[in-house]
Amino acid sequence: MSDIVVENREGMPLISIRGEIDQSNAHELEQALGHTLRVGSRFVLLDVSRLTYMDSAGLSVLLAATRQLRGSGWLGVVNPNSDLYRLFELVGLTADPGFRVFEGSSALADAQAAITEVLGW
Amino acid sequence: MNFAASGVERVIRVRAQKDQLVLVRRFVEEVAREASLDAEKAFDLKVAVCEACANAVEHGCEGSGFVEIRALLGHRRLTLVVTDSGCFRPPSYCDGPLPKRGLGLPLMVALMDEVVFTRSPAGGTQVSLSLALEQ
Repeated sequence: MSDIVVENREGMPLISIRGEIDQSNAHELEQALGHTLRVGSRFVLLDVSRLTYMDSAGLSVLLAATRQLRGSGWLGVVNPNSDLYRLFELVGLTADPGFRVFEGSSALADAQAAITEVLGW
Repeated sequence: MNFAASGVERVIRVRAQKDQLVLVRRFVEEVAREASLDAEKAFDLKVAVCEACANAVEHGCEGSGFVEIRALLGHRRLTLVVTDSGCFRPPSYCDGPLPKRGLGLPLMVALMDEVVFTRSPAGGTQVSLSLALEQ
């Protein structure tokens, strides 16, 4: 139902999710995010451009990660579709300083530039 | 008779297991198409119905029972009724600051025009999720 790929883009963890996240597989996203947080990443990019569905199980995972990163960094979501964006808004993620949304064709590059700027590289 | 005609129902019955939620989503997509919902409403309905089913699976009868989803298209109103054989319970806040399922109920309420919980005398729980349809 979903594919989760974790890679390293110029030192930044990038998690790409494809398909649908619900109660049956949200733990896979939790594991992928948990791993990047455990190794001390302050900025985590989540490419959701090919994610078509997410419900409270997945949203809870994003909320927990956002809460953990808030203050020192953020969870950057790349190209959510309009339905997912509405859910992010509804649960308060988009208003959280620990959560960022990057959109458009240069979204990934913008996200990486934002991180580079903060880290002063 | 077409589902789009008033008063017609569609039903799906799935095992009360997490891996069946995908079948529920395909069913809701079909219902939404037949009721001519726009893409946004169709997505909202899918989330709300899946949340109700996830509650049924988690709090009701995981592994041991069935969940039934009945779609009723009435006059300017689409209702999906999720029935299980267990007992709805509010999310528990005892096992950490962020309960896994604590968002389900607020999402259902936020996305639907009306949400009604009914406990049946036989012991099951029914969640009725309605959307007002444009003329």
